Amino acid sequence: MADDPKFSEELKKMEYEPLSPVENKLIAWSLGVGVAALAFFYWLSKTFFPGGH
Amino acid sequence: MNEKAAGISEDWLSLFLGIFIFMVSLGLFVGSDLLGWGISTKIWTDPTKAMSTVSSKFQPVKGEIAKIDGHKLTLKLADGKEAVVTAEGDVASLKAGDTYEKKGISGMTALFLTYAAMLIVMLVGARLMAINVGKFAVGFTVLFWLSYLCWFTGHYAHIAATKNQLAGFKISWALSLTPEAGFIVALIVGLLVGNFFPKLSETLKEAARPELYIKTAIVIMGAMLGLKAAESFTLASAVLFRGFCAIVEAYLIYWAVVYYVARRYFKFSPEWAAPLAAGISICGVSAAIAVGGAIRARPIVPIMVSSLVVIFAVVEMLILPFAAQIFLWSEPLVAGAWMGLAVKTDGGAVASGAITDALIRAKALEMAGIKYQEGWITMASTTVKMFIDIFIGVWAFVLAIVWCTKVECKPGEKVRAVEIWQRFPKFVIGYVATFLLLLFICFPSTKAIAPVDSEIKKLTTEIASLEKKLVANPADEAAIKTQIGHSKDLIKSLNSSVKEQKDMLSKAKLATDESNTFRVMFFVLTFFSIGLVSNFKKLWEEGIGRLAAVYVICLFGFIIWVGLFISWLFFHGVKPPVVIG
Repeated sequence: MADDPKFSEELKKMEYEPLSPVENKLIAWSLGVGVAALAFFYWLSKTFFPGGH
Repeated sequence: MNEKAAGISEDWLSLFLGIFIFMVSLGLFVGSDLLGWGISTKIWTDPTKAMSTVSSKFQPVKGEIAKIDGHKLTLKLADGKEAVVTAEGDVASLKAGDTYEKKGISGMTALFLTYAAMLIVMLVGARLMAINVGKFAVGFTVLFWLSYLCWFTGHYAHIAATKNQLAGFKISWALSLTPEAGFIVALIVGLLVGNFFPKLSETLKEAARPELYIKTAIVIMGAMLGLKAAESFTLASAVLFRGFCAIVEAYLIYWAVVYYVARRYFKFSPEWAAPLAAGISICGVSAAIAVGGAIRARPIVPIMVSSLVVIFAVVEMLILPFAAQIFLWSEPLVAGAWMGLAVKTDGGAVASGAITDALIRAKALEMAGIKYQEGWITMASTTVKMFIDIFIGVWAFVLAIVWCTKVECKPGEKVRAVEIWQRFPKFVIGYVATFLLLLFICFPSTKAIAPVDSEIKKLTTEIASLEKKLVANPADEAAIKTQIGHSKDLIKSLNSSVKEQKDMLSKAKLATDESNTFRVMFFVLTFFSIGLVSNFKKLWEEGIGRLAAVYVICLFGFIIWVGLFISWLFFHGVKPPVVIG
């Protein structure tokens, strides 16, 4: 369609915004909780849901 | 303004279609074989013998009667093979040596019936979605026949037969790609049509709906996996729980890293980086759209991300199952979970799981002589993908709150919990329902049969050792024969004690086989449609290079390998059941 914004133009228009403290916090928390949960779930699955064989 | 009536979404429609086909297949439990006429395709060297109906009840048969047992006739067929058929009506006049012929539905008729039934059901669906029914009918018809042709081609023995099947087909070589090669053929032909035949592609556009087809297939597949879960309950619960655990990284680890890379190194704005991270890391199209909506991004953002996701899913589908076959054949469920975590569209992930399932089973048989039960690898892929899908709404909700309150605070904007439900993939309800229903129907039977089967196995071993003894000590013949007779009587009585449960299970197996016919056709349509909608040329012209660079770096540099590690962590050592005999 003629009125559709062109992707390449949209990218050119994009201005750089440095990572804000909130975003840094979100990334750090997400990773931290992710790694911790991974360890916890690994223990849980080993203990309560063995492979069955 | 001329307002167009809004129909139901593909998501809801897939739920209805899948449940409908599943319910019809259950007719067997009340004595009505309603889907047995569906098409079943076998590996072929002679194309005329490749197609038949899925239920033997509908197949034509002609042969010389070798044995009569009540209504059950053992026939010697023209090719020298034997077939057991149930004769209807008066059998008193039949005798061994007579020629018996039963009329049935030919393979070609079964194919036409399958097409007609699917067309009718899909047209009702098109009407419910309020799309152009005429255009859909034309598109679906061409799509169906082209897809089936691809599926049929993939069954050619030189493409599909595994090493142990070569002698049976009297051929000396084959690519050993298994019948699932038909999916790859469909994907490649779809790609060719989508990229080089724009006019034909335009005609098929209305019916090229990979998400609708794969979601419907997943709902139907729930029943098959429910039956498998009933047969190996401990293993199924382990797969389900481990699948749930594996998704933690998709949300928490993947998303954060991709978001960071896109923002820090590729200088994307938060509006672009958040949907991009969701698309690459979580679940492609739906996640990009959900997160795009959650952070109030302009529509162009999730649309471009989704296009990219589809393209890369195609690349992954063509590479990862074969990589898994080479490197992970000894860890089948790791491979299955890996497909669920690494391939970023529902269609791509589940379809890659199905190909991996076939490729790894063929490789394990060839390398170690292990015949794994079909479907467990697909189950691992589907389980992981399902859990990822389920949590899209929750993750979009979390991001919406963070964006609304911390990143871009707009006055008066509120995030409502109902958005979790609005973004919840509804087809998952269908998958869970068909899974649980078959599990509850079959579990009491499998529970009753398991100890009996184990007792029978013991007795069979005992008989074998007694027969050896008989050869070694002919003097004790009478005593040994009595013991053998006693054991055989015990087996008979054990078998009759669980006859009802075995009947129930065989009905459930036939019901899932029959609905599986349609599941397979929806799978093939998915592959063809994915190829069709993946327009590489158009995306390149759009100037998608920078976005693609993030995708390539994150996907091949990080997501695939972390996904492999997590899959290994949770699924290593967990093996599918082995088929004995």
